[in-house]
Amino acid sequence: MGNVKAICKREIRSYFNSPIGYVCVAALLALYGYYYYLVMRMGSSSYISSVYGVMFSFSMMVIPIITMRSMSDDQKNKTDQALLTAPVGVTAIALGKFLASFFVFFVASTLGLLPAAVLNFFASPAWGEVMGNYLGTLLYGGAMVAIGVFISSLTISQIIAAIGTFAVSVFLMYIDMLTSSISNAALSKLVEWVSFNNRYNTFTQGMFSISAAVFFLSVMAVFVFLTARRLESRRWS
Amino acid sequence: MVEVKNLTKRYGASLALDQVSFTIEEGSIVGFLGPNGAGKSTTMNIITGYLSATSGQVAVSGKSTLDEPNEVKRLIGYLPEQPPLYLDMTVKEYLDFMYELKKVKLPRKQHLEEICRLVRIEEVYNRLIGNLSKGYKQRVGIAQALIGNPPVLILDEPTVGLDPKQIIEIRTLIKALGQNHTVILSSHILPEVQAVCERIIVINNGRLVADGATDTLAHDLSRDHRLVLRAEGPETDMLSAIVQMDHVLEATSLGEKEPGVFEISVEAEQDYDLRRDLFALLAEKNWPLLALKNSDLTLEDLFLQLTSSDESHAAGAEEGDEETAPLEEGLPEGPEEDEEEDSQPEGDAPQDGQE
Repeated sequence: MGNVKAICKREIRSYFNSPIGYVCVAALLALYGYYYYLVMRMGSSSYISSVYGVMFSFSMMVIPIITMRSMSDDQKNKTDQALLTAPVGVTAIALGKFLASFFVFFVASTLGLLPAAVLNFFASPAWGEVMGNYLGTLLYGGAMVAIGVFISSLTISQIIAAIGTFAVSVFLMYIDMLTSSISNAALSKLVEWVSFNNRYNTFTQGMFSISAAVFFLSVMAVFVFLTARRLESRRWS
Repeated sequence: MVEVKNLTKRYGASLALDQVSFTIEEGSIVGFLGPNGAGKSTTMNIITGYLSATSGQVAVSGKSTLDEPNEVKRLIGYLPEQPPLYLDMTVKEYLDFMYELKKVKLPRKQHLEEICRLVRIEEVYNRLIGNLSKGYKQRVGIAQALIGNPPVLILDEPTVGLDPKQIIEIRTLIKALGQNHTVILSSHILPEVQAVCERIIVINNGRLVADGATDTLAHDLSRDHRLVLRAEGPETDMLSAIVQMDHVLEATSLGEKEPGVFEISVEAEQDYDLRRDLFALLAEKNWPLLALKNSDLTLEDLFLQLTSSDESHAAGAEEGDEETAPLEEGLPEGPEEDEEEDSQPEGDAPQDGQE
């Protein structure tokens, strides 16, 4: 697993050697601050959970930018030749890449707790809900990062990777609405089961759902695995 | 050390490699020769595990790439055609990363310093790779391949994009590395392969067309034994005297090259060394012998012959026997449209220093 660490470290460094890492984190924090200001100050409310609910949709827009270059860049610059001819398994490569992208998202989300910490001086925010939102965002976001990394492995174009991930992200966000329009009960059930939102919503109410956590972790595992398969399959093309 | 058996690779409908087999012994420097798109890079990519073969096996040190891919990868240092460099890292960061990636056990600082000294990149050690010149990038690529001191080095066109001085340096380096590594390098620059490699494998259109020691390959493959001489004297008398010698099959004049000096091509019987007889004859007649050389196929001729004959199989015979006048400078015009920059004859071309 030393390989995972090496790859992850390099990727993180690369995020913060280029503006991408900073821009993603800064943009998210600026949006957090902006919305926090709108709701808290102008609304004179300490109901912070609503802030985090909206924050979450901002995160979903930034994730495609974080993950877009993850695998596609390697393919374009042929640096994948260094990775794939080193004594490293494809799973280690995929995992390292995923963890690095997730780390950027993690940094942004964690710094997003600052408004709540500030609020803590003046009022007592509902920490249960805040932490629930935080954990839910990390889990949901982690799943989206894994999907984004996988989509990035399908193309050498960062733009296509970003747009593809964004489309999937939006599709998943509104998948619940589909259920009402599907007449087939079994299909409707399936779509409902896939819904990321339903699971995420439990967290926003300040509850920790083990089954939801397991679901998101499984999605991450599945897409890291698929990314690894994708790397392997390129050898056979 | 490296064993390749019946390697075949298909990209969709096109056949990139067709039943290629060869074995490379430990400690030798082998050159892969072939026009662009012949399958050199594909072969190398398969040996290093970047690509997988459609069929056939590769074994390094007796370990199969299919059964123990990571073990095999550990034994190979690979410089692909385009060095796999992260442009946003410094040389130091990059080499550190490759060191960790390859899980090398050697003492890190000492090992990396040694490599940097070897490929001469100490002075750019802390610079961003993206800002380096092509030559330095190429060296960083070679440095990367050397990390972990793998017994087998595979270098895909290692001198491409370097200036002449750097080319000589890299060749010297490769020769030095060949003393304790098995080196496979590809090139389409013939003098380079001739200068560095002990053995040559020629690939064309995905097939192995020749395989042999650099020095003997040309000799073995030429069908006849031809000498080209320059002597001062009357053209017709010289020709008739030579034709009347024992063991001579044919003598033709190639024209007057200097005032009163004629070039004559002599074809002798197979396996008969005519040089002493020729010298004796000309000395006896007082026709000063100014130059005498074997006109076995040069590597250039060989290469063109092998590759063009292969193509003419497919596309109907093109000019078949072009290599009768090898004392003329330059390459005979061949069918492939390889980069122009490669076509200077360089030092090994058959010339006898008269200009």
